[in-house]
Amino acid sequence: MQAKTIQVVGLAFTIAYAVFIVWIYATEPRTFKEVAISAEVAAGTYHVDQEKFNSALDLFRREQFRAARDEWQRADPAQGDARTQFYIAYSFYREGWGRLYYDQQLFKQGLEAVNRAIALASASPLTVDDPNLGMHSAAELKAELEQGTERSWSDVNPLKVLRTRK
Amino acid sequence: MTANNRSRNRALVNSVVLPMLFLTVALLGGLRVGAENRTFIFVAPPLVALLLGVLLMLLLVRGRLIRFHQWVGNELPPLTNVVHIWMLITLFFASAQAFNSVLPERGLLHWLFSFFFLWTLWNNQFSSFDPTRLLRSLAILFGTAFVLKHILLASLYSPEGGWLKRVAGTLLQGVSLGTLDAPYFAPATGYICFFTLTLYVVGLILLAFAGKDEADLVVHPVIEKYQLSATDRLAGRDAILDDDPEPVAKSERQLAGRDEASGDL
Repeated sequence: MQAKTIQVVGLAFTIAYAVFIVWIYATEPRTFKEVAISAEVAAGTYHVDQEKFNSALDLFRREQFRAARDEWQRADPAQGDARTQFYIAYSFYREGWGRLYYDQQLFKQGLEAVNRAIALASASPLTVDDPNLGMHSAAELKAELEQGTERSWSDVNPLKVLRTRK
Repeated sequence: MTANNRSRNRALVNSVVLPMLFLTVALLGGLRVGAENRTFIFVAPPLVALLLGVLLMLLLVRGRLIRFHQWVGNELPPLTNVVHIWMLITLFFASAQAFNSVLPERGLLHWLFSFFFLWTLWNNQFSSFDPTRLLRSLAILFGTAFVLKHILLASLYSPEGGWLKRVAGTLLQGVSLGTLDAPYFAPATGYICFFTLTLYVVGLILLAFAGKDEADLVVHPVIEKYQLSATDRLAGRDAILDDDPEPVAKSERQLAGRDEASGDL
């Protein structure tokens, strides 16, 4: 191999290594498993664990929201799937919804999750065709969660108890 | 053949081995392992580490460990210039990360360590160094900082230590009104730092040899006399070195023969 070839190959290889290091510092993986997952996301080969997703959906329908969220987080550890993040946000909404008051903490977490979902589905508006849900688009869910975290005079309206959970 | 091997080995060291070593130092220099759940924590270099990196680069130039005018110049082929500049960039980031690995992460100790590093590097700018002395000095500087941070301080702040250690740690924090507070990492962090600093020093030693190798080009009187271009100098040097043993031996024998003859007379 000629010296020039070694220089070109070495330069290309070390630049790729430098890019990898920058990527590692940008993504800050906490374990080797996370490194692998982040690499899958970057390579576009990342998929949600469908079995865990379905099991979480089952728990969600049985109103076991925390368990459902745990399962969805295991199904989508990289938080890279818009649909899963939408469901996580929805579970926060349903758990935090109350006839007399909304749980602010859960709604804020829901808002973070729905924002993630919207960011992940930036190419087209995110809609989920699930007949069990009252809201099918991420925008609707976000608006509902935002309304829940805002304080207004309508909070003292006694007719509020008649509203229904979506 | 030997000339070819020499130029290939030189290319291998300058364009693959040294950048890889320095990039590995850049990767590991900011890596810590959390004490509680043993997860990775990546600490980006603080601004002061970049400043220390700049000062160290200047020191390396002043100490002739980096012979800048021989590594980058008009007469060298563009690709060689690019390779050398890239290597210097990786060296800069490795230097910054080497400091990052021995600097406490926060608190008064972070600033104390930074101040002492700045003081030492600034003073060294005005000292006369040769590459060997500079290497020794840097190895001692990093070694001392490693012992202070990863052995002494880690031991003082360790929650697993004995009661005496914990009392000493608590007293130290109390006396300094909590400003000496430092995060505690898993022991693996110390091992990673040791490996990182060893790699860095090995890289500098290799750099010194690479620089010496290049410096030989200028020193050779034949090359100096005829003012050859860089490529011709390389070829000329390799040819001279290849042919050196025989003619030198022959001329030495001739000289010895003459001496003996004059002695006999």
